[in-house]
Amino acid sequence: MVVRRYARLYDQVFSVVAIFVALVFFFPIYWAASTSLRNPIDTFTVSGVGVPFLDFDPTLNNWIDQLSTPETQNALINSTIISTLATLLALLVGLPAAYALARFRYTTIKNKDLTVWFLSQRVLPPVATVMPFFLVMRSLGLLDTHLALILINATFILPFVVVILRQSFLDLPYELEEAALVDGASFFQTFLRIALPLSLPSVVTTGLIIFAFAWNEFLFAITISSQKAITIPVHMAGAVDTRGVQFWFMAVRALIAMIPPVVIALLAQRYIVRGLTLGAVKG
Amino acid sequence: MTRKQAKFFFLAPAIIWVFVFTIFPLGYSAVLSVFSLENSVDVTRTKVPLLDDAGEPVLTRSGKPRTRTVIERTVNSDWTFVGGKNFVRITKDMQAAEAAKVTVIFAVVAVTIQIVLGMALALLFNRKLPARGVMRSVMIMPIFATPIAVGYLFFTIFFENGGPLSFTGIPWLSNPSWALFSVILVDVWQWTPFAFLVFLAALQGIDSEQIEAARLDTESSWKIFTNIVLPALQPVIVIVLLLRFAEAIKVFDIPFALTGGGPGVATQSYTFLAFRTGLRFFDVGYASAMSYTLLIAAMIIVTVFFSRIRKSYS
Amino acid sequence: MFRRAMLAAPLVLAGLATAASAQESFVKWNDDGSAELLVNDGLWLKTAPGELGDLFGPGEKPFEGVEISITVNTGGPKGGISGPLHTFRPIWEELSGGKLNIVELPFAEHFTKMMTDLRTGTGQFDAFMVGAFWYGDIAAGNFAFPINELMESGEYPQWSLDSMPPSLRQLYTWGDDVLGTLGDADGQALYYRRDILEDAEWQAQYKAETGKDMVLPPRTWQDVLSISQFFDGKNWDDGDDEPDSGMVLHLKVGEQGHFHFQSLSASFVINPGDEVTQFDNVYWFDPTDMTPLINKPGHVAALEFLQELSKTGPAAQVGWSLGETWDYFLRGKSIFVFSWGDVGSLVQDTSRSKIKGKLGVSIVPSSERYWDLETEKWVEGAGDRRVGNTVGGSWHGVISAFSNNPEATYSFLSLMAIKPVSKWNANNGWTGVDPGYSYQFLEPQGEATLAEYEAAGWDPGDVQQYLQAYFDNFNAPTMLTYLRIPGTFEYWDILDKNLSAAMSDQKTAQEALDDTAAAWEQVTDRLDRANQLKLYQAAIEYDG
Repeated sequence: MVVRRYARLYDQVFSVVAIFVALVFFFPIYWAASTSLRNPIDTFTVSGVGVPFLDFDPTLNNWIDQLSTPETQNALINSTIISTLATLLALLVGLPAAYALARFRYTTIKNKDLTVWFLSQRVLPPVATVMPFFLVMRSLGLLDTHLALILINATFILPFVVVILRQSFLDLPYELEEAALVDGASFFQTFLRIALPLSLPSVVTTGLIIFAFAWNEFLFAITISSQKAITIPVHMAGAVDTRGVQFWFMAVRALIAMIPPVVIALLAQRYIVRGLTLGAVKG
Repeated sequence: MTRKQAKFFFLAPAIIWVFVFTIFPLGYSAVLSVFSLENSVDVTRTKVPLLDDAGEPVLTRSGKPRTRTVIERTVNSDWTFVGGKNFVRITKDMQAAEAAKVTVIFAVVAVTIQIVLGMALALLFNRKLPARGVMRSVMIMPIFATPIAVGYLFFTIFFENGGPLSFTGIPWLSNPSWALFSVILVDVWQWTPFAFLVFLAALQGIDSEQIEAARLDTESSWKIFTNIVLPALQPVIVIVLLLRFAEAIKVFDIPFALTGGGPGVATQSYTFLAFRTGLRFFDVGYASAMSYTLLIAAMIIVTVFFSRIRKSYS
Repeated sequence: MFRRAMLAAPLVLAGLATAASAQESFVKWNDDGSAELLVNDGLWLKTAPGELGDLFGPGEKPFEGVEISITVNTGGPKGGISGPLHTFRPIWEELSGGKLNIVELPFAEHFTKMMTDLRTGTGQFDAFMVGAFWYGDIAAGNFAFPINELMESGEYPQWSLDSMPPSLRQLYTWGDDVLGTLGDADGQALYYRRDILEDAEWQAQYKAETGKDMVLPPRTWQDVLSISQFFDGKNWDDGDDEPDSGMVLHLKVGEQGHFHFQSLSASFVINPGDEVTQFDNVYWFDPTDMTPLINKPGHVAALEFLQELSKTGPAAQVGWSLGETWDYFLRGKSIFVFSWGDVGSLVQDTSRSKIKGKLGVSIVPSSERYWDLETEKWVEGAGDRRVGNTVGGSWHGVISAFSNNPEATYSFLSLMAIKPVSKWNANNGWTGVDPGYSYQFLEPQGEATLAEYEAAGWDPGDVQQYLQAYFDNFNAPTMLTYLRIPGTFEYWDILDKNLSAAMSDQKTAQEALDDTAAAWEQVTDRLDRANQLKLYQAAIEYDG
């Protein structure tokens, strides 16, 4: 009995610690929300932790101002188009490769070396390719186009598709596919009709995670885009003007930028660990 | 389609893709680093009468014929071979040395904190808690929050006169050492949850009977940790270390947004410097040489961990 | 998070809806040929008959179907410099029938994007709202479209170069070519708290403590330092219980901190003379061989002085941009700030400022001594030899040489340059367009009246001193030369980083400026020393 009561106290202490830790990690996001609801003049004068209604009169003006400008809307649309198409493109190119690495045995270069080769793309510093990519896009007349950013983002997220989904295919039972092949189905049919539907949940969640990565990409976006193809992170960087930082708009823009990938990550929770470690750790 | 053909056609697109969009640019970059590239544009302007759809001249309100300007331009690119000059220049460039130092300090300190803190939190939370789902959700948010937005967000938090942390009196962004630490803190905020989630997942995979047995043998918690938990987690720690370190040496978004690389060059990361050199001042060859140097550093890191990673994928 | 996302979704839709439904008229034509333009909050700007030129008129759509793009530093619909573009976009679109894209680029990226477009001949942008320090790269590369002919044609809105003092006119032109349309006028002036410094009790205390009389406005930098030191740490403003500061500076790296050093050091450095010689009226380089002058004793002493001066302000200012610094002054926390014209107009905005009606302004003071470059000795007791400056960007429109629609673009930029618009810009602080032209100065120096400023909400005492200070500054007999050679942005970026290192005590003044000089030599060599020298000599009008 003593032990159990001791354990319960332990639990309570841990709950308190857990809440504290959660608050610390949540605070910056909360602070952005609070700042975004303040009138500019209240930015630095609110007391305490800036609880709306309690510490200041909240206003939606900053949100309305930002969301009603064509530039914000344009950036939102661009980011959606670019991230979605980059995700689909990476899946299109990467899924067959992931399947092949799971199901076929390569001998000239071994499967695991091929896998690690794909993985190593992820480790390359993007700044090494930003200059040539920029010059190539310039010669092709593709600067400031969606296409350029779709291609580059697809390139960055391709390793995730190959490496993570290879693991998902490996986790599937091979018997069904074997049976189909025996029945005379082609490899392509087997892949499309049997393996793919079975692994659909992990394909979708992986898609969500790589969408979020593409959404967050900044270095290439700021290099390639200047007007028509400006994405949300680039738009975000414009919250600073020559006269300094407009905290209220910055908070709004930060939240606009962060909400989609964060919501998506929450939807894909179960696969986060596997996704972030490129399939090396199963969550 | 034979198995042989299938093997080829399934894998080929992805491999070709990497060759076109990664290997080719890297080769191009290598070429750039040993050349100097000068662009010039010739432009000629001609004034022509402005005509309407019917081919009639358009007049101003006072009846003068209007004109418009037609532009013709030719772009000339001039390549000169400069050999290893750009690489030699890096060794003499104080800014590059400073940026390399900043990057290494950042990566080592930030990743160490993330792993230690992530491990501590994972151990702490490796138990049944009433709201573990909420906790997990909260920890996922920073990882996926847009880094550039995070940088600006923390600018408001570290703001020294009126920000929520101003009561500490710490010169978060105005003192060079603190500024670097602030950049590290932001990275810690964003990526400790990653280490935490991975370690937590791994901890849950450890055989609890083994731990119970050890506990019955009245081994101390520390001993259980070092003798059972740590060895079991070692592969995962290596993965986290590699992935985080490889990301950390590329850091760009956060100093870009939070400090602009300052004060002075106290938080100017290597990627930041290469980006500015190449794209702001058009010193393309030198910037390519700089990024190649970083690439080599990244390769060394990968190679060090290479055998360890290969095991995870066999 | 989910809930916040749900909240945002309808807002996006609401935003789209408002954007689509805004269909009102922004232009009214009167029978006498004058027009009225709706700028904001129901305020109509009246133009003179014929002022909008020959092309615009009732029912005319001279640029129907034309689409132009103009880049500007990010600031949004109510931001500095970008704000007026947003304000005049619907007006111009109605007048011309064209479409204007405002391309907002972060300050740090704007130059890059512009030069990329120009160097590659892309011509994606029709015009750029440039900083004058980009002229070295733009004009020397033949990347700008000269507007002389368009100005003379009478077809477009009418404005005149004669409204510019020579110091500013020089920034808008390159040789005989006019490249810029009238916009912002930048220069730093000294702002101070008139109410405190004129207070007899404080003056007596100052005399008792320092043994000196307080001369107003301060004539020398040394006086400013002494006054700053006296007030720093005392709670002289009753706004709060915290001690207040003497001086406040904007020193954030990568922004505009180095302009403080330029405007302050000018009088430590510049040797007065009637002409530009190897030693007189030079600041940046030796005009005979491009050796940097930046680490000469005059510059070093000025930086040491700036370090000393910054100690009378909040430590956090090392990381502050303009906005944070101005707000500190506006909140009544410091005696002095030396900065751009924005401060004067922002002081009038009582939602941000507590010090309306308490403002003193003067041309920046001079140093008691300067370094003679020829004899290599200090000249002491140099007296009042205040040096005017045009530091900053004087942000304004320049048309791209690769624009396919220079005429349409000019019709927009010139619309923003006419007298009533110029006045409106100066009247309103948020526009970021600062006074410097005769359109904006008070009669008889200029063409504006006190009543106009008062109607726009200005305190008469504040505005008189303010406009006088800027008139004195832009018409000063000695001016700080503006650097207009290729690579200016890079030279200044190097200087800026080193200054920031010095101001945050990472380097001594001497080290910082020696490092700057060494890096400048590398840039000069890389960009071709002979060519740089030729362009530098042309830019400062040195003829051996």
